[in-house]
Amino acid sequence: MMQVIQQIALLTGKDLRVEARSRQTLGLVVVLGILIVVVLGLGLGPQQVASGQAATAVLWVAYLFGGVLCFEKTMAVERHDGALAGLMLAPIDRGVIYAGKFISNLVLMVALALVVTPVAVVMFGFDLSAAPWGFALIMAGGFVGFAAVGTLFAAAVSSSRLQGGLLAMVVFPVSLPLVIASTQMMLHLFRDGEPVGGAGLAVLLAFDAIYLVVSWLVFEVILEP
Amino acid sequence: MTKLKKTLMTGYWLVTLALFAFAIAVVFAWTPIEATMGPVQKIFYLHLPIAINTFLACLVTFIASVGYLWQRRQFWDDLAVSSAKVAVLLCSIVLLTGMIWGHSAWGRWWTWSPRLTFSLVLWLLYVAYLVIRPSIESRERRALVSAVYGIVAFLDVPLVYLSVKLMPDIHPTSIQLAPEMKLTLLLCFVSVTLLTVGLIAARYRLHRIESAVGAGLDLPTPTKVPITQPGDAA
Repeated sequence: MMQVIQQIALLTGKDLRVEARSRQTLGLVVVLGILIVVVLGLGLGPQQVASGQAATAVLWVAYLFGGVLCFEKTMAVERHDGALAGLMLAPIDRGVIYAGKFISNLVLMVALALVVTPVAVVMFGFDLSAAPWGFALIMAGGFVGFAAVGTLFAAAVSSSRLQGGLLAMVVFPVSLPLVIASTQMMLHLFRDGEPVGGAGLAVLLAFDAIYLVVSWLVFEVILEP
Repeated sequence: MTKLKKTLMTGYWLVTLALFAFAIAVVFAWTPIEATMGPVQKIFYLHLPIAINTFLACLVTFIASVGYLWQRRQFWDDLAVSSAKVAVLLCSIVLLTGMIWGHSAWGRWWTWSPRLTFSLVLWLLYVAYLVIRPSIESRERRALVSAVYGIVAFLDVPLVYLSVKLMPDIHPTSIQLAPEMKLTLLLCFVSVTLLTVGLIAARYRLHRIESAVGAGLDLPTPTKVPITQPGDAA
């Protein structure tokens, strides 16, 4: 068990080190996220923006597009110079590779959210002070499920010229329950002032658990250099 | 295809279509008109059986996808895509009949009620399955991505169902049915199920031929391929 955690930490550390030194993905993703927020802010107009209700939708659009870009980039790094073949030859379980990639993606998405969320909050006047931890909890639940599905499909959809649009096409429909559950919970939390919990949180956690386990199992079969 | 198989197929389709026509006739001529909704309620006899059969088609795609990942045999992929196509067709009909019904019941073509949202997400899931396939050139890669997607999409269905339950609802949850109505519903269900199975089988045969041609394999009746293929595709 200790060894597995060590291996996962090693793989994640490698990914994040590559990212920290090149700063390729994060720069791209953050700017894209801010652009999406600005475009939606302009498109919705001043009246809609003032309501703050649109912020959750705006945030999800930014997270979804930014997230897909993260998944693509972290997997593309491995396809350079046959790095994936080397990784597969290493004496580690394939599930460990999945876990490493999953955590790297999650870290990138959290970094994206840390920049984009304040921007959206400022631009849309969305008041988070009522329940900042509830907001963070719901979003974290959404991110785990989204990254679980995204990491799996980034590995499956590879070596294809149309990779960009394709990954989004695959991941978006599957992630819709996350968007539905989290927006409904946000409504309950901020409009009705109800605490986080109950059925909504159960759906998020079920999504996370199911897709982490399924991805861990399926990843072994689909990984090809 | 052997002569016996051909006769069986023709017989199957004749029985299915006759039963379907009979069911439609029963719906319009024999079943009583519902008190509150009026004649529009008759769309229900098509709506519910097709909705159930959509799930059956999705289930077949799921099983075939698991089969492909397990055995890596092309016929599993052919079966998965055949039933996914039928699932999309059926789900489109469910959405359309539901919208017609909703328009006369609530006065609006679309509301974001849980079950409408559920059908829409289900439809999107399987439409995405069909549109991503042509973008992947390699046959093995296409089958692999489709199989993973087929599994993930099916596991998504209960989650979508649970998540839409968080939304406010106006859909009828249970309907009181007269005995004639129940009998009609059963008849419609049987004929629609036969139709679904027939459609999946027909699609599957076509995809088998397509992948055999694509792989350059020998068919059971190789001489017939160039002659029947353009006709089948059209």
